[in-house]
Amino acid sequence: MLVGFVREHIEAIGPARALFLDFPMGRGMGKPNDPDFQKRVIRAAFKLFEKTSGPVLEDFPETIPVLQGRMGYALPPELVLNADDIGDVDELVASVSKEMDALRNDYEAAVLSRGRTTVGASQLRIDDLAPFIAQFVRGEFPKSPRKGLPAIPLLKLAVEDLEAYYTETRTYRDKIDNLELIGSWFWENTSAGRLLLSLEAVSLVSSDRVMLQIVEMSLMAPRFWSNGPLPGSSAAGW
Amino acid sequence: MTKISEMPVVGRDFISNLKLPSFEKMAWTKPSPANKRRVSIVSTAAISKRNDRPFSWLAKDHRVIHKTDRDLVMTHVAVEFDRSAWQQDLNVIFPLDRLTEMEADHEIGSLADEHYSFMGAADPVTMEKSAREVAARMKDEGVDTVFLIPI
Repeated sequence: MLVGFVREHIEAIGPARALFLDFPMGRGMGKPNDPDFQKRVIRAAFKLFEKTSGPVLEDFPETIPVLQGRMGYALPPELVLNADDIGDVDELVASVSKEMDALRNDYEAAVLSRGRTTVGASQLRIDDLAPFIAQFVRGEFPKSPRKGLPAIPLLKLAVEDLEAYYTETRTYRDKIDNLELIGSWFWENTSAGRLLLSLEAVSLVSSDRVMLQIVEMSLMAPRFWSNGPLPGSSAAGW
Repeated sequence: MTKISEMPVVGRDFISNLKLPSFEKMAWTKPSPANKRRVSIVSTAAISKRNDRPFSWLAKDHRVIHKTDRDLVMTHVAVEFDRSAWQQDLNVIFPLDRLTEMEADHEIGSLADEHYSFMGAADPVTMEKSAREVAARMKDEGVDTVFLIPI
């Protein structure tokens, strides 16, 4: 039994039993903290077992709208930093640190309430995330402090941990479940977002093939659903 | 419905140009009665237990998640899908609690002990060895229903 978000692909592949979900990507069961909605998805999927021949492809009747055809948040194409625009990295890190301190009580309350956190894939301490990322913004290539994981893959996990720290806190604190609002807040309105856009700017002119690939393929900043590739790149990585 | 043709240009071009697998024969199996089903989840979200090795960017392998595991992290390489939902509630991508409830209510027979996670950014053709290992483990614990949930 398969559920999926791209109907044309399900039609082309033709699995035996499939349920098309008209939802944003990353929300297979639809809505967080809504057990009834989630069970309606599961029951609709499992109901396809009653069919006696296939392939079967049906549409889940409820939809979760997306914005202008994009299946997740995307940065405005014009919001791009130039490496020359970054300014004082130490000041930027200090600003991120202050921001994170202001969020800390609510982050801890969120973890307590949910009984879990997704922060920690990098295994860096929360307070070490921004300073570690900042080393790359300065053009340094630090050695990975994590055995068995090279510096750039660790950098990518650190970026995601930093974002998760903010977004876990905000969804809990303000009871928001709106991926567009959460995405625009983090990427367009926080110092942490600016730190990551600075990292993107540095990566775009980097002589390191992997750093360049990260931005060419939108593997760090959310540009996959933008109306055009990152200026200065061709999105050719894809 | 969100059609590929309506998606923004970068994502649309990527998704349009994906090479899709084709199958000569559709695998159609007769399902077990609902209240006898033993269900296992397969996810492409690249989630794993906190201390598992992170997925590599084009990983061919998988991670095993026990039905009681909740302390999970995600090491998926792509960022085009929403992460804020699973941060709020694991069940929105990996519905272990919902299936546990459905087991208690006898809507399904049982939830399997083991569930599986893959890196959805990788080419599934490269995962055959891993997929066969997963299938063997499922058979060993009597799974007869697989719930495939992409990210």
